[in-house]
Amino acid sequence: MNSIEQMISNFEEQSKYPAKAVAKVMKETGKKAVGCFPYYTPEEIVYAAGMLPIGLWGGQTEIKSADKYLQSFCCSIMRANVEMGMKGTYDLLSAVIIPTYCDTLKCICENWKTAVPNIYLIPMVYPQNIRIEAGVTYMMAEFKRVQAELEKVSGRAITEKDLLDSIEVYETYRKTMQEFVSIVNQYPNTLNARTRHFIIKAAYFSDKKSYTAKVAELIAELKKLPAEKFDGLKVVITGILAEPAALLDSFVENNIAFAADDLAQESRQFRTCIGSGKTAVEKLARRMSDQSCSLLYDDKKTRGQLLIDLVKENNADGVVVSMMKFCDPEEFDYPIFKKELEAAKIPMLYLEIEQQMDAAEQIRTRIQSFAEMMDKH
Amino acid sequence: MFLGIDIGSSSSKAVILDENLNLLGKAVINTGTGTLGPEKAIEIALSKAGLSREAIKYSIVTGYGRITYAKADKQITEISCHAKGVAFMEPNARTVIDIGGQDVKVIRLDDGGRVENFVMNDKCAAGTGRFLEVMARILDCDIEMLASLDAESTKEIIISNTCTVFAESEVISQLSSGAKRENVAKGAHHAVAKRVAGLAHRIGIRPEVVMTGGVALNKGVVSALSQEIGQPISVVKNPQIVGALGAALFAAEMFKK
Ligand code: SF4
Repeated sequence: MNSIEQMISNFEEQSKYPAKAVAKVMKETGKKAVGCFPYYTPEEIVYAAGMLPIGLWGGQTEIKSADKYLQSFCCSIMRANVEMGMKGTYDLLSAVIIPTYCDTLKCICENWKTAVPNIYLIPMVYPQNIRIEAGVTYMMAEFKRVQAELEKVSGRAITEKDLLDSIEVYETYRKTMQEFVSIVNQYPNTLNARTRHFIIKAAYFSDKKSYTAKVAELIAELKKLPAEKFDGLKVVITGILAEPAALLDSFVENNIAFAADDLAQESRQFRTCIGSGKTAVEKLARRMSDQSCSLLYDDKKTRGQLLIDLVKENNADGVVVSMMKFCDPEEFDYPIFKKELEAAKIPMLYLEIEQQMDAAEQIRTRIQSFAEMMDKH
Repeated sequence: MFLGIDIGSSSSKAVILDENLNLLGKAVINTGTGTLGPEKAIEIALSKAGLSREAIKYSIVTGYGRITYAKADKQITEISCHAKGVAFMEPNARTVIDIGGQDVKVIRLDDGGRVENFVMNDKCAAGTGRFLEVMARILDCDIEMLASLDAESTKEIIISNTCTVFAESEVISQLSSGAKRENVAKGAHHAVAKRVAGLAHRIGIRPEVVMTGGVALNKGVVSALSQEIGQPISVVKNPQIVGALGAALFAAEMFKK
C-alpha cells in the first residue's frame, strides 16, 4: 500500500468502526466525549470545553428497542440513534446534544430522558427565523445556555479565549474540507464515491485538530500526482446522507463519481465559514444565519439554484437525490428543486434510501439504469 | 444469431433474433431467478428457432436476476431493455408502463426512443402482479380469469388499502358482507391502476402510452389504467417478452460494434 492508500484506509477504518475509533481517541487525548446529534450542533463549544464532539449519524443496526419510542414511519437514522442509545453503544459519552430541527428530533428530545436516562441530555432549540436580527440574538442566548450546560459536564469554565481558539480549529477544518471536496474532481478514481464519503465521515469520530492535519496531508500527497483520467459520469449528490456503503459501491461499480455534494452529513457541515461578530458566540450565531439547507427556514428557496450552480461549476452530468425515507424537511424541498432542475434540463436520479437497507438490489438497478440512460445521450 | 434473456422474480423469458432482427424464437417460463426457468426458456426458444447454443453470437441478460446469471456476454438493466424493445415495436411510444410480477416501472422515452427518465416502485407489492395474484386467490379463480370477472361487473368495489396484506382482509370482509366477486375484481384492477398512475404522474405522461409486462394481458387492468391516467393505452404484441426482445436487440448492436 502506498501512503495515500494507507491514509484512506485509516479514514475508512475510523468511519466503519466509530465506537472503536472514539474509544481510541478518548484514550489518546484523555478527553471526555459528547455526542452531537445532527444537525449544526455547536461542536465548537464542546471542543472549547476540552471535550471531543462526536457525530451521531445512525448506523447499521437492527432496530428492536427503538420501536418503543419511534414508529416505523420515522427516519432510519434517528431510529438507529435511539436504538444505539438504548443498547449502550453510546455509553462512553458524557452527554448528548440534541437540536430540534424536525418533528422526529423534537420527539427524541423528550424520549431520550426515559429511553437513555444514563446519558445526560442537552436539548437545543434553533430559532425558526435564522436570518433576522432577533433570530441571531436568540441563537446567542441559546449557545450561552448550552455553554453553561457543557461547563457542568466538563467541570471547568469555558473562557472567551477557549471559544476563539476552538473556532480557529474549526475554521481551519472547514477550509481544509472545502479544499478537499474541490480536488475530488481531479482525482475521481482515488476519491471515488466510497472513499470520499469515508474520509469526510471520519471527522465525526476524531479530534478535529489532528483530523484536519491528516486531511491536509492527504491533499498535499494527492497534489503531487497528475490529475486522473476519468471516463465515467460525474454527479452532484443531495440529501441528508448517502449510505450504506453498498449504495456507494453501486456508484463505483457503474463508474459514477460524486463531483460535489449537498449532503447534510458532508458539505453542508463545512461549506459555510464563520461569521463576523464581536464575541465568539456572536460569530457562531452569524455563521448559522448564513447557512442554507432543507432543515432551515429558507423563504427564498435557494436549493434548486444551489444544485444548478454545483452542476455547472463542477461540469457534472446530473443530480442524484438521496432521499432519506420519511424525512419531512427533505421531502418538502424536493418538488420545488425538482421543477427547477427539470427546467434547467439537468438529468436527475431519485433514490429513496434507508440506512439499514440490506437489499440494495432495486437501488442498484436504478443506478445502473441511470448510467445506461446517460451513456446514450 | 442473438439471444436476449429476461430473468424476472417470477418468470423467465428468452428471445432469439437473426442478423436482420427477425424474431426466430421466443419462450416464457413461469419460474424466475434462482430456478431452472432461465435455462428452460433458452432451450425452448432455441428449439423453436431450430438452432443450437453454438449459433448464438452474442447474448445479453436483463431483469432482476441479471447479476447472478453468469452465462451471458453482458448484463443491462430491464429499464434500458424495455425501452429498447418498445421503441423497436412501437416507434411512437413516449411512455412505457411495465407491470411485472413484483415491480412496476414507468419509462419516458425521448423522440429518438431513448430513455429520458424512469421511476420504479419501492419494495412494496402494491400495484404489481403479486397484488393481483393475492386477489385472484381470495376470489378463488385463476389470475387469467380476473379480467373476465371484471367484464361482468356492475360497479366498482373500492379497495382503500394500498397495502396488499391489509387489502386482503378488506376484500375478505367485503365478500362476506355480500359484495359480488365481479365487482371486487374490478376494484382490484382499479386499485392497481391508481397506484401505477400515481407513479406515472411522478415523471409525467406523454402520449403514446404503451403497456408491457405480463399484467398487460389483463384487459381489466389496461382499461382501468387508461381511465386513471386519462389517455388511451396500447398493448404491444407479446407484452411479456419485450424486455428479452430489447436485450436481444442490444446484443445485435453490441456484436456489430
Ligand atoms: S431531518 Fe429528516 S433525517 Fe434528519 S432527523 Fe429529521 S426526519 Fe430524520
